[in-house]
Amino acid sequence: MKEIFISLRRAPYQSLTAFLVLFFTLFLSLTLFVSLSFINGILSYLETRPQVTVYFQTKTPESNIFKIRDELLQSGKVLSIKYISQQDAFNIYKNLNKDNPLLLEMVSADILPPSLEIYAKKPIYLPEIAEYLKKQGDVDEVQYQKDIVDRLLTLTGILRKGSLIFFSYLIVMSVIVLTTTTLFKIALKKEEIELLKLLGASNSYIRRPYINEGLFMGFTASTLSFLILLAAFLYFDPFLKSYLTGVPNLSLDLNVIKLTVWPFNLVFFASMYGLSLVFGCTIAVVSSFLATKKYLKV
Amino acid sequence: MIVFDKVSKKYPLGNFALNEVSFEIDDKDFVFLVGPSGAGKTSIIKLIMREFLPTSGSIVIDEEDISSTGFHKVNALRRKIGVVFQDFKILSDKNVFENVAVTCKIQGLSSGETKEKVRATLALVGLKNKEKVFPIQLSAGELQRVAIARAIVGDKKYLVADEPTGNLDPKTAWEIMKIFKKLEGEKTIIIATHNSDIVNSLKKRVVVLKEGKLIKDSRKGGYDL
Repeated sequence: MKEIFISLRRAPYQSLTAFLVLFFTLFLSLTLFVSLSFINGILSYLETRPQVTVYFQTKTPESNIFKIRDELLQSGKVLSIKYISQQDAFNIYKNLNKDNPLLLEMVSADILPPSLEIYAKKPIYLPEIAEYLKKQGDVDEVQYQKDIVDRLLTLTGILRKGSLIFFSYLIVMSVIVLTTTTLFKIALKKEEIELLKLLGASNSYIRRPYINEGLFMGFTASTLSFLILLAAFLYFDPFLKSYLTGVPNLSLDLNVIKLTVWPFNLVFFASMYGLSLVFGCTIAVVSSFLATKKYLKV
Repeated sequence: MIVFDKVSKKYPLGNFALNEVSFEIDDKDFVFLVGPSGAGKTSIIKLIMREFLPTSGSIVIDEEDISSTGFHKVNALRRKIGVVFQDFKILSDKNVFENVAVTCKIQGLSSGETKEKVRATLALVGLKNKEKVFPIQLSAGELQRVAIARAIVGDKKYLVADEPTGNLDPKTAWEIMKIFKKLEGEKTIIIATHNSDIVNSLKKRVVVLKEGKLIKDSRKGGYDL
């Protein structure tokens, strides 16, 4: 640690430049990560909203409807199915038209069709489910909003691909900028590196102080950016609570784990900090490694 | 032991820095390499340090052919050779202690060992009270002492010095030579110089070079060109 501080003190402007670049990159990355987690969470939430509604003929026995419901549940493509009986449909109708007694008098439960509201696990399953339902004998009508689902799917795909490209760009840009900054710093120590080589220092020995300094900067920059973002979360928490009323939770499915983004929780914050540390330290170390490589051929 | 066997070093333009030079230096020997500028003294030192490879011939140090392209222990080789460079190569942003401690750190000594060895070495070269002083505050003679301290700290087997008295006044030059004399019998010492007074006074082995060729190798010799 003492050597790191001495090195930072002896080249304060270069150190500050490298630190600010790293901090900016990490802060931007972390902000982007959180924003994308939220967007992904919201999209994942919205993806489960589209549904297929299937209306059965009024005389269809409940057993036939339940048979179809059970088959769909067993397919693994369905998140949940809500059965609306004729009586339920009538109750909904009554509720919707409670201010219009004339309409209520004209309708009884017998003429309303029973239905199933099907929530798919993923929107891509919806056409498949609809096709399956159309082939069933007692089905009167199958409804699902194909255009909206398609648009949502396209938007989700673009956002996911876009974020991947942007993240990749950010990583490459950070490594280039940091390598250049570190190169400036190392150039000042070119003579020292040449001397160390002549005294028999190994490449790892020569690299070590730069790697250690990189790790220190990575750690400090990621901690600072995390703390600033954490403060922002705490500040905006009441606003988000009112804005996201009715949304029970938002989660980010990373294949390996499912990370709950909202409501804020310790696991999400720990993941954020961990990611920031890994990202920051990796960028700093890789940059130091690349920068020193050029000067090791003495 | 250092063995040069018909070593030549030819530069791309075709001129020879060394031309079929052969000699042997026994362990703990004290050798002066003398000759006018361009004779090949520095080339011999650079070949020993393996800063470059000979065009032909072989160089064997401690039974290892360091002139072979397959030789991969360059760092280990350099760690056992203390070298005093012609231009000192003192790090301006490090103080005297840190400059000397560099060698110990490269050798992997602990912080305690480093302190002990550096302090003992600084006392030996007469810089006991200058540990925290930065190079800019030192005279040329003191800088040379720092360079020698860095070269001898950490029990190196060989000590190689390239014109260690080149930029010094006669009095300081003699003080520097006294340090080398103190180390005689402990290490193999090779000094490239054209300071005839010193060479003639000390009566050590003298290897004389001229235009890249070895023209004389005599025990208890003098500066005789």
